Formats: sequence, structure tokens, C-alpha cells
Amino acid sequence: MPEVIQFREGFYADVRTEDRYRTVISMKAGVLEEMRNRRERQAFVRVYDGRMWYYASVTDVDHLQRTLDGLYDAATENPHIGEDPVVRKFERNRDTLMRFEDCSVRDIPLCEKQALLLSCLPLLSEDHCITMPEGKYLDRSSLFCFESSLGARICYDYQTCGIALSFSMAEGEKKFTGNWQKGGTRLDEIQGLESEIRASVAEQTAFLRQSVPVEAGEYPVVLSPEAAGVFAHESFGHKSESDFMLSDESMREEWQLGRKVASPILSIVDDGGAPGCGNVPYDDEGTKCRKNHLIRNGVLSGRLHSAQTAAAMDEGLTGNARAVDCTFEPIVRMTTTYIEGGDLDFDQLIAPIRKGYYIKTIRHGSGMSTFTIAPSLAYEIIDGKLGRPVQISVISGSVFETLGLIDGLTRDVKLLSFVTGGCGKMEQQGLPVGFGGPFVRVSSMNVQ
Amino acid sequence: MEKEFLKEREHSVTLNVTAGRIDSYRELERTTGTVRVYDKGCIGVAGCLGEPDEEDLTGRAREALAFGIPYPCDLGEAAEQKIEGGEEIIPIPEFIPAMQSFLDRLGKMCPKFAFSNKITLMDQRSEYRSSAGRHLLSSGRRLDVQLLVQDRGSGNLFDTFLGWTGDRFDPEGMLEMFRKQYDAFYTPADLSPGRYPVVAETSSVFSTFLRHFTGDLYAAGASLLSGRLGQKVFSDRLTLRDDMNPGTAFGACFFDAEGCVSPDFRPALVENGVLKGLLTTKKTAGQYGLPNLGTASAPYDGVPGIGFHGAYAEPTARSLRKLVPGRAVFLDVASGGDATPEGHFATPVQMAYLMEDGQLVGRLPELNMSGDFFRMFGEDYLGSVRDDPQWENYMLSAVVMDVAKA
Repeated sequence: MPEVIQFREGFYADVRTEDRYRTVISMKAGVLEEMRNRRERQAFVRVYDGRMWYYASVTDVDHLQRTLDGLYDAATENPHIGEDPVVRKFERNRDTLMRFEDCSVRDIPLCEKQALLLSCLPLLSEDHCITMPEGKYLDRSSLFCFESSLGARICYDYQTCGIALSFSMAEGEKKFTGNWQKGGTRLDEIQGLESEIRASVAEQTAFLRQSVPVEAGEYPVVLSPEAAGVFAHESFGHKSESDFMLSDESMREEWQLGRKVASPILSIVDDGGAPGCGNVPYDDEGTKCRKNHLIRNGVLSGRLHSAQTAAAMDEGLTGNARAVDCTFEPIVRMTTTYIEGGDLDFDQLIAPIRKGYYIKTIRHGSGMSTFTIAPSLAYEIIDGKLGRPVQISVISGSVFETLGLIDGLTRDVKLLSFVTGGCGKMEQQGLPVGFGGPFVRVSSMNVQ
Repeated sequence: MEKEFLKEREHSVTLNVTAGRIDSYRELERTTGTVRVYDKGCIGVAGCLGEPDEEDLTGRAREALAFGIPYPCDLGEAAEQKIEGGEEIIPIPEFIPAMQSFLDRLGKMCPKFAFSNKITLMDQRSEYRSSAGRHLLSSGRRLDVQLLVQDRGSGNLFDTFLGWTGDRFDPEGMLEMFRKQYDAFYTPADLSPGRYPVVAETSSVFSTFLRHFTGDLYAAGASLLSGRLGQKVFSDRLTLRDDMNPGTAFGACFFDAEGCVSPDFRPALVENGVLKGLLTTKKTAGQYGLPNLGTASAPYDGVPGIGFHGAYAEPTARSLRKLVPGRAVFLDVASGGDATPEGHFATPVQMAYLMEDGQLVGRLPELNMSGDFFRMFGEDYLGSVRDDPQWENYMLSAVVMDVAKA
């Protein structure tokens, strides 16, 4: 924290600062498009008087006391603020947790990052159908400090880095945009991936040439860990964000813990301590992260909270009050959300399927009462074996019906990290989250 | 050495609404500065968050030339143009009481709806200056009311939106518009599967296919439109533009990130069905021999890239009643749709209304809709309406699509 903050009696207040360093290197068709380092310092200041929250987002982090005092003046002093149910929920952690000092991307020269990207790009030019190869190297290193009027004082670091490749392909009338990306928290996690990239490009060029339109209908579907993770995130994770329960009292009855909501083999977890881009040791109001079961063996067993929602619903904190940056206030968000593993291997999972589809990679997904996933690479499953590549616009289904139709899970769970995209919720887009799961079999889904 | 200087300032006040009550006030002040320099076919960029020191930024931009990022220097002609935004919408001290009073009235009018999300008062100012003598200044204001609606007891994250964006606060007009949606929401309606005119916000109608208008994809032969610039590919009725006109895109900046100004501040992608332009920067336009559309965007410290501000489809009718007489579907919430590489589009529709003669008459069950790119904007494109009497400040377009119950 750049200065010593003086908190006033009669209010709750906290100050969050972030020193964010970012690198973007972008190449397109062999030409350098972008190369920049950005360093930003921002702060978000909150004051609560028991009735209203007052927030300020500032870039002048050297005069935070002045900003804080301005918010105090707008709020109303409350001698009983310490008894407010929201204030009583706040943790008072004191910690310094620097995990990336020995491998900070800030210390790695730009030329070394560019060389890593350059080593990947020739792999995109090995097939003549690729017309526009593009590649990006991206990293982020953040130093967070959080201090509250209750005595919390936390400093920790956060880091991600990765390579994202995309390639437009065209052959005759056939067109397809391929993608590959790998995210990690240390540079060595994204080095030496040439054989993985080459295999992925070959698979996607084969998809361009060989894929056939899907026969629309209801089929058994097998989701890869990527697709299963998106399904968990979109179909159920967002419904576990309990801020959506504050406006409508009847929602609490509808979403009572202990209610059976899914197949008994299904368990979904959100865990801020899981490794990867969704790892946040503390959330943005100073709550320590933890593993939270949202569904355990098919039963609704938890939900995600900020202090405000935990107080309103008289439940415990979960470490899920997150903001995309210091422009915004923390709201209830996921961290790393995944489906827990089962007891099958992949061959056993697809063996009973006479005709169905395997969704390997996806373009995007969303979920309300109905969820949809737009696949990128997908394959037929015929008589228990993988078949031809198929073009599918979307797979969709009712969230709760589909949760009940999950009838097979493989043992191993894969968690994925990304350096582009992220989770969007209303005005706060692009929050880094992780997701994953095992391979998941659903007995019936709508395929278009 | 040629140079451009840009400065942007944004000030906003945002109120959070929970259960129809304002429970937080957020003030944001953000200033950014950018200097771009050009030398020997390359660009150097430097930017800052906070009040810019032009000399310092210029020095850093010069250093960045060493990266060797190729970029043409084309700063356009000398020009002076200034568009200053309108009147103050609401004085800040009156913002909370005015909005809470509006929310109280809305809550009484719509007792079965639970409201949440944000109301924002925004004030933006952008400046562009170049060594070629070009100086542009744009400022504007807007009020955004974006309310998420839960039908009490539905169990859903949200069921519909009530939204309004404008350069004034008109509570009576907003309440009247929202009341019609509320009444229709609680009137069940049904529809047999078939082909129907589908009305939706213009930006959402085109969003899935916008990538096919990007110059890079076009030049790579990977766009559905590749090779068809200057050809008639869509309906005569379709004229599609990027809306940077503050008269309809409230608070918008009238010039792009490279200081380009288009006629009427709405550069055309499609005119009367003819593909007239593609989304480019000065660099990609030069690289691929395409006309530069003037819609670039750029991070404050980065090289300009492809941008698009908002879809404007030239109105073909004065009202929805004229555009879609008889029975039609009004698409309200559709999440999760996409198109295959061949252009077949499909989407689930979580919330839609039945329309009769341009009026919302009832709420339809969840639907699936589909169509094909060239047909949707060719023979199946019906036209567009701006400021229908029932939908003030909305740009709506109508396309015939296959509709079936989910």
C-alpha cells in the first residue's frame, strides 16, 4: 500500500490496490503486429455505513487517503457499524504471499518472450490450407494489497502467461478457423510444446477437409474435460453465485441446500486454491480461498458468496468476491470450477454408445434455464468407437434435465488455464477463471 | 517524424440496484494518453493511465520504434472538427433520489418483477491531434438504465431485461415502454413451428456474422464474403453501417482511433445490398488493397486494430407496425447461438414475445431459431426501424427465420 491509511470510526472501509504488469506480443502472417509492456497501478476504495456502499476507482494511488475521506464524507457515520451483519462476516487475515518472485514474467526480457512465440509460428505454415496464421504471447503479473478498517492486511501476487494461436483455413468452399492455446502460471509451463501444437494443427486441417454436417436430433453426447468444464461453469456455476438470490426472496426456497438436483454420480466443485489462472489465495474483500462443493453426489450442497450475500443468507464465506480489476467492486464470481472424476476410462465411457457425438473442443458456451455449447471439433461415436469429424452449430438442453442425465465419468480430472477470454458477468468481462473435469457422458442432448 | 496524440477522459457514476433498491454508488474517473510516432515505415506507441505528459510519451514512443512494427504513416488531411455533447442529464447530487424514485414507481407498476443491476451516468471526452494539422474533439453524455429482471419465483438467474439508453432522463417514456413489456410478459402466447418474421435489436442480429466483415479474414479467403467486395450480395433493403453518430449512438466519439471521420459518422459496410466496405485499419487496408472504413479502435498504449462501435441498419419503415404487419416474434433474450463455418446459424431463445401488428401481445415459450447467412440478409431480410413509437432509442431489424418450440 503506497501510504499509511487512516480509517475513521463509525464506518467499515477497505482499500484494494493492484500493480499490474502485462505483455502483449502479436504476430500475424509472419509480421510483428504488436509488442508492448503495460504497467498500471489502480486502486478501489470502499466505504460502508450499514445502509449504502460508496466506491471510488482511482488511478492516483499516491493520494488514497484523500479518496477515502471523500467517500467518508458522502456516507453517514454509524456508531453500531461493528454489529452490522455484513461487517461481522469479514475476515481479518494478515498475510504476505509472494509465490512468483523466483519466476516473475516481469524479469524476463521481451526478446525471450518473442522468441518463444516465434518458435511456434512455423508450425502453422506446414499445411497449405492455412491462409492467415496468427499468434500471441500474453502474460500478466499482479501485486495485490488489501487493507481494511477491521485490521486485515494482505499482500499477494498473481501470474499467468501463455501462447494463443489461431489460423484461418480455406480449401475450395470449405472454411474453418482453428485455434490452439496454452495458459500457465510460469513460463516453463508453456515451453517445449511443438509436438502438441503440430498434432492439434493436423487434427484441425483434417477437420476442415473431412468433416460432415451433423444429423440434427437427440443423441448421447460425450464431453471432453474442456467441454465438461464449460458445462459446469455455465450451466451450474453461475446459478451458484448467490447475488442473484438477493432480489427475489422466493429464490431461497427454490435453491434450498440438500435438494437433489443432479445424477447421483455428479459432484461439482469451485476451488480458489486449485492451480492455474483461477487461483486466488484471497478474494477481493480479503476472504481466504477454500474448496466449495456446489453439488455433492447429485445434491445441492453449497453456493458462492461475498460478505453481503453470506450475511443476507446467513451462510459462511466462500472466498468468491472478485473484481475483474480495480475499476469495479467485487461481486460473486467463480474461481476454478470443475466436475469431480468417476470410475471409468475413456473406452469404457463410449463403449455403450451406438450413435452419438463426442465434443472435443468448443468455441463458447452459455447457460440459463437452457444451456448451449458451440463445439469447434466434434466427432461421431458409432458402435462404441470414434468416427468421422462432424460440424455442429450448438448442443443444448435444459440445465436440470441434463444434470440428471449424466451417466458416466472417467477417473482423471483435467483442469485448464487460459490466457484469452475469461468469464463475463454483466459489466465485468474477461475475469480469469479455470475449469475442467473428466470426460462426461450425457445420455441425451439436443444436437444441431 | 510524424506524430499523433490522443487523450481520453471518462467520468461515470454507477448505481447498483438490488431488489429494486439502490445499495451502492460508484464513481470512476479515468484519463488515458497516447502518442504514436511514425518513421521509416514503422510505428512506435506509448501510453499512460492518468494525465498524459506528452513529452515523456513522445520519448517513449520513439524508443518503441526499435521494435520494428511495420505500419504505414497516413495521417490524413489537416482538419478541425469539434462536437460537444449536450446538456447535463441529471446533476450528480440528484442522481440517487431521482433514480430511486423512478425505481419505486417501476416496482409499483411491475410488482411481480424483481429488479437488479446498474444505472450509469457517463461523460466522455476524446481528443485527437496529429502533426499533419488534424485536430478532433468529441464529447458526449449518456444515461444507461440496464435492469435485470427476475420473474418472482421463476428460479432463474434472470428472465428478461428492461433497458434504456439516451441523452436525457425521461421517466414517463421509460415507464410506458416497460409497462408494455410487463403486460406482455404475463400473457401466455403460443406459436406453431414455421417461418416467421423475427424482430431483434440490430446489433444482435448481425453480431454473429460480424467477423466475416473483417478485412483480414476477407483477404485470407476465409470469410463467407471473400472476393465479393463491390458485388450485390444481400437484399436491396439492407444498408448496414457502423454507428459513430452521437445522435443515435449516445455519447459516442465521432472519429475512430486513427482520426478518421466518415460521412454522417456512419461508415457503410453494405449499401442497398452491395458489399461496400470491410472492417480495417489504415495498415490492413493498405496491406490488402481495401478501402479503409475508418472504424479502428486501439488500446491506449497499443497499435490500432479492427474496431466496430455499433450496428446501424438504415431504417426502411417508420414503425414495427409497418415493417412486420401481422404476426411476428420479438426476440428478447437469446444466449448461446452460433453459426457453422458454412454460415448456418442456430440459437436457443430463452425469452421472446409474440407480436401482432407491431405490438407485444404475449410471452412465447422457449424457442429455437435458425437461418442461413446469405438468405437471412438476402431474401429473408425485411428491413429496420429506428425509434418505433413503442421502442424509443432502439434500432430494430427484422429477418424471417425458422422458429420452433425448444
